[in-house]
Amino acid sequence: MLKQSNGTLRRGWNSFLRFLAMHQTVILIVLVAATLALPLVTSNRYVLRIGTLCLTNIMLTLGLNLVTGYMGQMSFGQAAFWGIGSYAGTLLIMRLGLSTIPAMILAVVISGFFGYLVALPSLKLKGYYLTIVTMGFCEIVRLIELNWTSFTGGALGIMNIPPISIFGLELRSAQATFFIAFILVVLVTLVVKNLVNSTFGLSIKAIRDDDDVAETMGINIVKVKRTTFVISAMIAGLAGAFYAQYATFIHPSIYTTAASQELIVMIIFGGLGSIPGTYLGAIALTLLPEIMRDLLEYRMLIYGALMVIMMVLKPDGLLGSLDLGLIRRKELERAAKVGGGKKGGKGA
Amino acid sequence: MFLQQIVNGLTIGCIYALVAIGYSLVFGVLRLINFANGAVYMLGAYLMYIMMSMANVTVALALPLCLALTGLVGFLVDFIGLRPLRARNAPRMAALISTLGIGTFIENAIQIWIGTDTKAFPNFLDLGRVQIGGAVISYTQVVIFLICVVLMAVLSLVVYKTKVGKSMLAVSQNTNCAKLMGINVKGIIAGTFVVSAMLACVSGALVGSYYQNIDTTMSFTVGMKTFAAAVLGGVGSLPGAMVGGLIVGLAEAIGASYIHSGYRDAIAFGILILVLLIKPSGIFGKQNVDKM
Amino acid sequence: MSGNLVVSDLVQQFGGLVALNHVNMEVNLGEIVGVIGPNGAGKTTLFNVITGTYKATSGTVYLNGKQINGLKPHEITRLGFARTFQNIRLFPKMTVLENVQMGMCCRAKANLLDNVLHTGRKRRELAAQEKRALEILEIMGLTERKYAMPDSLPYGEQRKLEIARAMATDPSILLLDEPAAGMNEQETGELMRTVRSLRDMGYTIILIEHDMKFVMNICDRIYVLNHGERIASGTPAEIQKNELVIEAYLGKEED
Repeated sequence: MLKQSNGTLRRGWNSFLRFLAMHQTVILIVLVAATLALPLVTSNRYVLRIGTLCLTNIMLTLGLNLVTGYMGQMSFGQAAFWGIGSYAGTLLIMRLGLSTIPAMILAVVISGFFGYLVALPSLKLKGYYLTIVTMGFCEIVRLIELNWTSFTGGALGIMNIPPISIFGLELRSAQATFFIAFILVVLVTLVVKNLVNSTFGLSIKAIRDDDDVAETMGINIVKVKRTTFVISAMIAGLAGAFYAQYATFIHPSIYTTAASQELIVMIIFGGLGSIPGTYLGAIALTLLPEIMRDLLEYRMLIYGALMVIMMVLKPDGLLGSLDLGLIRRKELERAAKVGGGKKGGKGA
Repeated sequence: MFLQQIVNGLTIGCIYALVAIGYSLVFGVLRLINFANGAVYMLGAYLMYIMMSMANVTVALALPLCLALTGLVGFLVDFIGLRPLRARNAPRMAALISTLGIGTFIENAIQIWIGTDTKAFPNFLDLGRVQIGGAVISYTQVVIFLICVVLMAVLSLVVYKTKVGKSMLAVSQNTNCAKLMGINVKGIIAGTFVVSAMLACVSGALVGSYYQNIDTTMSFTVGMKTFAAAVLGGVGSLPGAMVGGLIVGLAEAIGASYIHSGYRDAIAFGILILVLLIKPSGIFGKQNVDKM
Repeated sequence: MSGNLVVSDLVQQFGGLVALNHVNMEVNLGEIVGVIGPNGAGKTTLFNVITGTYKATSGTVYLNGKQINGLKPHEITRLGFARTFQNIRLFPKMTVLENVQMGMCCRAKANLLDNVLHTGRKRRELAAQEKRALEILEIMGLTERKYAMPDSLPYGEQRKLEIARAMATDPSILLLDEPAAGMNEQETGELMRTVRSLRDMGYTIILIEHDMKFVMNICDRIYVLNHGERIASGTPAEIQKNELVIEAYLGKEED
């Protein structure tokens, strides 16, 4: 009997997935509209703050998932690049008087440059070297932020960072920052989606599955790995520059290896190598500590356990092995076969 | 002054070497990095602290108890976090994440239980000190040095001269083949984890007694430094881990007197990155030839 | 694009072990050349040197008179070499179609900017690649499996997929490492037809194989390696009569 209900459940789930796959565009429009409606229906600063935090984390984890989920290299550098983006953006604005957009662009370039430096020694080697070098890098960056007081403000950090201003227009309200964050997330999502659905994306997946064979199949793995790592660092830098102006206060203890680990846990939970999974992980694990305040102290303990549990039970994360594009293609081809004369559409 | 730094550097270097050996032993058998090693080292120190300062147990009883407990934890790291992954031939990154998760769990469990403030650690090796030349050498340092040398010698003998060592090599070369040869693969792997955990425990206890205080950042910093030491020497090589540990210890002791003390913990990472740029296989490491 | 492949005086040592000892070989355009020999004779090592996975200790590999050893594996692939693996190594988390399309990455014209901006050039190229990948799957008889995961395929089809992936890199020379291993008689027969049709399409083929019936039936010429040395070369008929070869094989087949 259990088996039977299990079968029904599976059939139900499969038809649900087919529904999702066939109506991706509609669902996406509904989700985007709902997100955009949030700052219109509420001006509650707390709700919007959590929303903006979710969006920041989505950016950071999308970048991280390129390296870790799609390419299979675990990096602990994401928080460092986030920090570099934050400090670079802030200092460019406060010391050089740049406005938001040029500061953001430069912060992205600077983060990317540091990404390139870190990639140099570690990416020619096997995976765990990257992990350990990025851990060390994250720690060194934090120590510099902490000890180079004249430049970074030391442990106290930098306060009173001016809010985002675009073409001389200052955007102070929580609604406006939420909206900016949303635009950035859309931008980053498009970049990641386009990269993943390309020969470049196939190359990085091949590197994840078997780097020796990938190289024999004509892929310059050092170059591809380095490029991916730099793009990931640039995305983190973008999130960092935005975050600094949104939070108006940054300090070294935000950008720790523990923060990198939290980002890793988000994608491990939501889905390695999956964009919807990244969204799910980032949103769920940003909301969780807010909803359950009592658990705050136990958060890292739970994350540690979660890492082991996911690896043992569902190593790709909740949505990691779900490929809606593939389901859609199969469904369309089936429909084309059944329909005969009906024209089959192209797969997304 | 300089001589003093060398003595101090050698002492801490010996302790690093013991932890680094833990990485190399596990790597030697399973070709993976056990990222829980640093947390087990911290666990060793805190268990000693709990027994001696909180429960007033004597060293003679506390040390074997701690060894047994950390040994058990070492076994569990493999049993819970890695064995299920081996069973389905999971990619290496899964093992890495899994051990890291266990490390995080242990580290935070201790933080929640004991607190994150610095704790005074009983100096169970306090036997006075002597002055040689310009350097003051405490007997604690002498004892640490002796314990480390003896442990390293015993381990080297076991790994390089006995049947157990050959079995470990066989398991690392080809697990299935080793199984067919009648080698107790599960036992070898479990034993490796237990021994490397016990080494971490000894190091934790020694470092506590040496500095006479411990705090919860020790897991991460020492975990990282000793990994750097293992890479420097060549991951998988025992003499490499020893030499690597000593070099990192010395570099830190000498370096700390010349540069901003805030960057002291960054020295090991600097060494690590240099090694990876110049000779990634480390001092004693062999270049692996992957079979296609 | 292609021409003669010349392996000249090749030596490959690992520590004290000599895996290849002054090996010479020549392969002409459009040939099917077999490399045979007992286990451990250095056959796969030869493939690994040709494709750049190992750096030869000494000696040279020439393609059209140009030295290619010393180049990186991915550079050699771009010159027109592609291989399959003795112990099947497909990409386990990619579909059959993706496994084949992946082989085309090395010929992609779309650059990073095209990819990020999803330009027309990129979309056209992707469509063309997919079309070609489906053609290759059709040739190898794997069309029905295009959305399957490689692990779910029977052994023989996995071997075919390896060949399909190699073809996708648009090579002139295909190196097949034990393509018939683990196949039953019927599958081997099919494979023989496939390899012949590949040659008719213009590929030059070098293959390592233990199945003597397969090798003798299909190869134009054969090289025999034993303990890293070339002990014989010639047409299948010549090889079958060669005493050194018989000795090398009988020595091995004692058990």
